[in-house]
Amino acid sequence: MYYQEKKTITSIITGIAVLTAYCIYAFSRYQSGAVTPGDLKFWATTMLIFIGIGVAASIVIQIIFHILLSMSIAYHEKVKNSQCDDKEIEKAVDKTMSTDMVEDEMDKLIELKSARIGYVFAGIGVVGGLVSLVLNYSPAVMLNIMFISFCAGSLLEGFAQLHFYRSGIKNA
Amino acid sequence: MRNKIEITNNIRKLRFFANEMTQQELAEKIGASRQTIIAIEAGKYSPSLELAFRIADAFGITIGEVFDHEV
Repeated sequence: MYYQEKKTITSIITGIAVLTAYCIYAFSRYQSGAVTPGDLKFWATTMLIFIGIGVAASIVIQIIFHILLSMSIAYHEKVKNSQCDDKEIEKAVDKTMSTDMVEDEMDKLIELKSARIGYVFAGIGVVGGLVSLVLNYSPAVMLNIMFISFCAGSLLEGFAQLHFYRSGIKNA
Repeated sequence: MRNKIEITNNIRKLRFFANEMTQQELAEKIGASRQTIIAIEAGKYSPSLELAFRIADAFGITIGEVFDHEV
């Protein structure tokens, strides 16, 4: 498995964790009766907080991921050549990271194609939210449909990226 | 409808004849990632003209000697 795939998997795991945390927190509050569907301020505040948590979590997890990745490269280098010193290991880590972390045209194409899939899903969620209003559901249902579809769209984008990295991608 | 063109390449062979150049070395030379080189070699990705020229330049040959096509 290569760098970009590992990075995508880390993003997917972060996304799943944040979405699960949101669902557990928000719906447990709703089921306990502490919040009503009409309390739009609660839903908006919760969603904004979880967007913030999502951004912060993805930054922290990416930092941890890069530290662990460097450690694993250093470990493999030491196993391959037990005689090498710290400077040689540092060089090997730098070399591997610099070639694997390059974001080239294939990465950009995969990112674009996957983002399109994610946007389509999020768009369907927006339409679904509006339909829920037409069907006389509360605005909180519409907000939740939109929020969850955006999160699910971002997860779908990650899965699409993994698929393209595995099966390949054509320019046309 | 036009037939699809299958683009093939000789990168693996060219690397072998260039003193067993590794995928990482080629990636460094052309400024791409190792994963992209692997995908191109396996026929899973067709590079842009610019990248194709850079690959040809890395081996010091013409683009036609690196890539071929089948209709």
